[in-house]
Amino acid sequence: MDLLQGTLDMLVLRTLLTGSLHGYGIAKSIRSTSNEALAIEFGSLYPALKRLEAKGWIASKWEMSEHNRRAKFYRLTVAGRKHLVQEHSKWADFVDAVGRIMNPLSEVK
Amino acid sequence: MMSFWTRIKHLSPAARRREELEMREELESLTAIAGGRKELGNLTLAMEDARATWSWTWLESILGDVRYSLRTLLRQPAFAIVAVLSLALAIGANSAIFSFADALLLRPLPVENSSGLFDVTNTTPDNTLEGMSFPDFRDLRDHNRSFSGLTAYRLTTQAVASDPMAPAQIRFVSLVAGNFFSLLGVTPSAGRAFLPEEESIVGQPVAIVSRDFEEQNYAARGRSALGDTVRINGIPFTIVGVAPASFTGLDRFVAPSIYIPLGMSQRLAAAPMNPLEDRGNHILVVKGRLNSGASMKSAKAELANIGAELEREYAKTNRNRHMSIRTELQRRIDQAPQLLSMAKMLMGLVALILVIACSNVANLLLVRARARSREIAIRLSIGAGRGQLIRQLMIESLIVALAGAIIGLWIAYGGILALGMMSVPSDPPSVLGVELDWRVVEFSLLAALASCILFGLVPALQSSRTDFVTALKAGGEGPQAGGRRWALKWFGGRDLLVAGQVALAMVVLVAAGMFLQGFRDMLTMRPEFRTDHLISFDTAPAVLHYTPEQTQAFYRRLIDRARVMAGVANVALTEALPLSPGQTIVTVVPEGFEFPKGREKAVEFGAAVDAGFFHLLNIEIKSGRAFTDDDRAGSRRVAVVNEQFVKTYWPGQNPIGKRIRLDSATGPQAEVVGVAKTGHYLAVNEAPAPFVYLPYEQNPRSRMTLVVESVGDAAGLAKPLREMVRSIDPNVPVFNLRPVATLYESRVTDTWLNFFQMVGAMGLIGLALASTGLYGLIAYTVSRRVKDFGIRIAVGASRRDIIWLVVRRGLMLAAAGVLIGGALTAIAAPLLAAGFPGLGVSSSAVYVFVPLGLLMVSAMASYMPARRAAGMDPLQALRNE
Repeated sequence: MDLLQGTLDMLVLRTLLTGSLHGYGIAKSIRSTSNEALAIEFGSLYPALKRLEAKGWIASKWEMSEHNRRAKFYRLTVAGRKHLVQEHSKWADFVDAVGRIMNPLSEVK
Repeated sequence: MMSFWTRIKHLSPAARRREELEMREELESLTAIAGGRKELGNLTLAMEDARATWSWTWLESILGDVRYSLRTLLRQPAFAIVAVLSLALAIGANSAIFSFADALLLRPLPVENSSGLFDVTNTTPDNTLEGMSFPDFRDLRDHNRSFSGLTAYRLTTQAVASDPMAPAQIRFVSLVAGNFFSLLGVTPSAGRAFLPEEESIVGQPVAIVSRDFEEQNYAARGRSALGDTVRINGIPFTIVGVAPASFTGLDRFVAPSIYIPLGMSQRLAAAPMNPLEDRGNHILVVKGRLNSGASMKSAKAELANIGAELEREYAKTNRNRHMSIRTELQRRIDQAPQLLSMAKMLMGLVALILVIACSNVANLLLVRARARSREIAIRLSIGAGRGQLIRQLMIESLIVALAGAIIGLWIAYGGILALGMMSVPSDPPSVLGVELDWRVVEFSLLAALASCILFGLVPALQSSRTDFVTALKAGGEGPQAGGRRWALKWFGGRDLLVAGQVALAMVVLVAAGMFLQGFRDMLTMRPEFRTDHLISFDTAPAVLHYTPEQTQAFYRRLIDRARVMAGVANVALTEALPLSPGQTIVTVVPEGFEFPKGREKAVEFGAAVDAGFFHLLNIEIKSGRAFTDDDRAGSRRVAVVNEQFVKTYWPGQNPIGKRIRLDSATGPQAEVVGVAKTGHYLAVNEAPAPFVYLPYEQNPRSRMTLVVESVGDAAGLAKPLREMVRSIDPNVPVFNLRPVATLYESRVTDTWLNFFQMVGAMGLIGLALASTGLYGLIAYTVSRRVKDFGIRIAVGASRRDIIWLVVRRGLMLAAAGVLIGGALTAIAAPLLAAGFPGLGVSSSAVYVFVPLGLLMVSAMASYMPARRAAGMDPLQALRNE
């Protein structure tokens, strides 16, 4: 399934809400949480991480992973949390609006 | 915001390297965790996208463009050098001339809110810039409603000694009203301004000195000027303040050394009556700031009313006397209208040069854009955007423009140094004060930028529209079939540009030629008076409170002592030497002359001279006689006028025996006994002016010039003369002591040589630029017609045929330019001649030599590429295609 423009940022922020993760961990988490529906290309995820970091919404730190390997872990910053709340309400409004239009689909069938 | 700073941070290569390393390390660790590269997909692309977040793509690509442009420019250094130098010369000349005009006319007064300071004067039918008397000023100050403040001052020269032991020196001293400094918004850099009560005479006299005066006389000797005394005409003044270095007074070219209260006028002159209380003594310069509600127009109306009221009340002193207000710039223009025409002409000439230079560079860029169409086609075909292409071409012309501006400023700086040295050797020194200021820098940057947009955009747009398939096929020649319309259009445009350049160069050259002619006339013009073996100096014993009788006795002793000095052949006394900057005037009413309505007397150049003056200076008496020792006080009053005076007031009549009333229609009468040859009095380029000589004995003056004829070297007499004056009275100041030849040269040769060099340099710059433009176009034409010439040579055309073919084209362009230029000159020349009476004499030689010279230079400029065309191997030329 393709992602809507700008949705990836929101998904990443949402994923980091539960705790810090490394890049590959974020990709895996999104995939499993969406029941494998959203297979995020790492090639798009990684630049998104850098972009979010540059905007100050996430911060990174080298830590030891579960397999005792060094990896860069990303966590949500306060600014990122605020942004996520905003994006979430916008997203909810959007879904709501689209839902109103799309819902009575029975007429088509 | 954050992202902006991240990017700024990443401008540094070190930060970038760090980021890159960290990214690679992170991706490696993730590859290990994920168990292989496959899991993570295309990492190269991911890295590239990630880098974009911290890099400044557009900035980087602009830097790339700059690098590329520099490389291209350096690959064709001839183009770069010619273009940059064209602009540099034009911008340099413009900046230098702008600075010159600035010093002559435009520089604002060094006061707070200078544009809000207006000039208030008396006007009479004879003089629209008359000073105001103090009583008139006081009435105006107390009764007007237009001004929030009015102040007055009077610039004088006085004998100043910073030390009781030192000999007095002549310095500019400004006598100012109490509110002078506060109204101007000038705060002394040390000490205080004048107190309001110091305007009147009571109490210990106080003075404010200029920063320069403090440095020369006090700081240099480790003293502080504050609290010290300075003697002016022997009166001790306590120094209470030092004016800031930026404040040089309200007059151009002269900077007062000392400011003292106006109330000191009477004591300073040791006059029996207070000159300030004399309503007929129009000595003050008045400046004012308008109320917030008033405009110049409303102030003018009120001034007219007040003036009319004063005229009614004081008919004797104020008849035909009115009041007027003007801006500072208007005052300067009214003071010296010839300065305005000079500034206008110089700025007009440099503007022409700027136009020539810009069209030159435009032409070069057009030619280059065409020659580069293949390169551009390649760049377009491998995916360069048109926007990018235009940007790169614009950057290229921007580099040229900026380089031109930088070198131009450097040239301007040199020119300004040369112009800044223009001054007249005099005591106290006066200077022109040309300096490079920030407005000039801004002006040249603007000129560079404007020309960049002007000539950068058009070729950029044009070349980016190139049809690249035909361009690639056609090799370096640019589009043929598809581009024919363009080619025709631009080819015609370029021809027009070059012809226009030649035309403008012709205008500049004719102007320069007219000046050369006038200048040569001036140089070959023998001085109308003798200058060799003469030395002169000024002295003014009146500053020491000599009575008129004492002054006359002093001059008699001066002449007697000088006459018997070793090495002295002869002496004479005059109020002013011809061509010295301090010319004096007389007010006269010539017998039988009908003045136009409203006027009743004439103010003309005039001087009191002694009997030996005409003989010593060799001034020719055309009819009648010169003064003799019999023209004494008490004998019949006489005068000698010059031929121009006769022409003006008694045309066609015999002037000998006619009478002139001096000062006013009721003044003393003098009978004209002789007519002298008309000379030049203030400047060599002045229109012939009437002049009146009066015998010194009948018209004694306090400040005179002693002229001494030496047996040997005139300069050698300087020291003995100074000592001789000291032996009469050590306190009498001696100033402007210099050989007459030195004065003559500085007034005639140096100033005009400078001016001529300026105009001449402009002419040469114009010629150089225009011929470069022509050369560029012809060279380009030749390179485009390589195939054509190859065929011609192959079928038997001789070298001469080819050369003629090319040169003919150059000559035709030049001839077209000369024709246009001739028409332009026909319009411009009378304007020039009118602006510079006596100097801008247009002569037929100029009109012959300038076009001939232009054609010759054009022929040479086209001969060089022509020879290259004729020398080429036909086979190779054809193969090249």
